[in-house]
Amino acid sequence: MSGDLERRYRRVLRLLPGYYRRQWEEDMVAAFLDSALTGDPDEDEFSTEYGRPDWPEIASVGCLAARLYLGGAGTPRRYFVWGQAVRGTVLAVTLAHAVWGLGQFVLLGASRYQIGWLLPQPAAAGTWRTVSYLMGYTWVVAFLALALGYYRVARVIAALVIAAELAVVLRGQLTGALPPFASWPYWILLDLAPVLAMAAFHRDAPPPARRPWLVALPASYLLVSVPLLAAEMTGLSAWVPDTPGLCCILAGLLCLVHVPRARSSRAGTGVWSLTLVLLAAVAALYKITWLAVYLQGPRSSSHLIAVGLAELLILAVAATLVAPDAARAQAAMPAPPRPQLG
Amino acid sequence: MTGQAFFVLTALADGPRHGYGIVREVTELSEGRVKLKIGSLYGVLDRLATDGLIEPDRDEAHDGRLRRYYRLTRDGRSELAAEADLRAATARVVWARLTLPGTEAAG
Repeated sequence: MSGDLERRYRRVLRLLPGYYRRQWEEDMVAAFLDSALTGDPDEDEFSTEYGRPDWPEIASVGCLAARLYLGGAGTPRRYFVWGQAVRGTVLAVTLAHAVWGLGQFVLLGASRYQIGWLLPQPAAAGTWRTVSYLMGYTWVVAFLALALGYYRVARVIAALVIAAELAVVLRGQLTGALPPFASWPYWILLDLAPVLAMAAFHRDAPPPARRPWLVALPASYLLVSVPLLAAEMTGLSAWVPDTPGLCCILAGLLCLVHVPRARSSRAGTGVWSLTLVLLAAVAALYKITWLAVYLQGPRSSSHLIAVGLAELLILAVAATLVAPDAARAQAAMPAPPRPQLG
Repeated sequence: MTGQAFFVLTALADGPRHGYGIVREVTELSEGRVKLKIGSLYGVLDRLATDGLIEPDRDEAHDGRLRRYYRLTRDGRSELAAEADLRAATARVVWARLTLPGTEAAG
């Protein structure tokens, strides 16, 4: 028996990669129709005509699709490369949040006589600022959980953090006191998207290399945050880029450092190349939304816009140099053999 | 091994089953606690097939559609037995602790 119900379910199955559909689609459709039809002719005729896959069923296919596209062991190489690149990008964005949180923590420690240890005192700051500080510290925990392989813990913590940040954004909208960095584009790009992309850390995904990522947290703080803080405190703040500009410069530098490897004939560089291209895209979007704030807000300045465009240009050139290797990684690598069913 | 994979392997322990047959059996084995959606079931079946723990048995025509039956491989049977032993041993330890006199005062 076939009909609209089957057609609708097949439409849902289009979420899955082609190689997977070729192997499993007919079997999935048969199992789904078995589960949806009762054997009563009248009832089945109605279901076949008007029935639809329910939302939990669609969600289960969506989750399966996410796991397959952001592949782990046993998936075709192309999806494995994408999975590794997304995992690397999520770790890098979470690291950036964590470095900011670590910086806040160290600053608070250093100036505890003014605003208290761990949390600013209510009289000096208020509930919303307290929430903001807590979110910063919590990103550190989320990053450590992710790097150590406690994916579920990381997802739960990060979800709580972005819920709190959403509350800050909503409050800003309601009171009309929304600072530019707490608006929707930033929340979607830097909070929601990385947390959703944490779906790439599934059971089949190889665990991240712990030591380099764990070392990256204090190293990034010491090599990036401390020099910038020192520059600001010694009157060189005019030379300190804004946060999106800093992200563009760092992503561009990482791309340039990676260029010799990407252009060598060594195998296995494609994952890093694709990761860097994704990071460059995130940094570029961050900067572009920031430039929109400069254009619209009272801080509009042709100098800041010119600097921002220059940063974007440098980032684009650097990303273009590693992009061919990222493309090669998906096209050239053959799919590993999969078990043949039937 | 996840709970879902454990139940799917258990559902195949007494003979081959097709996709929806596995879903029904898992619901019954778990007394309704585990209700597999089709997307989840095929995620588990794909992983178990990749690991060599299950394999296709036969195809049967039913109501104009082909139903594919799956069976445990030798490795699947060994893996299921090992997992069952592990879970039984864990349960014994827990029950031993729970029924030990005076455990509520310990620690």
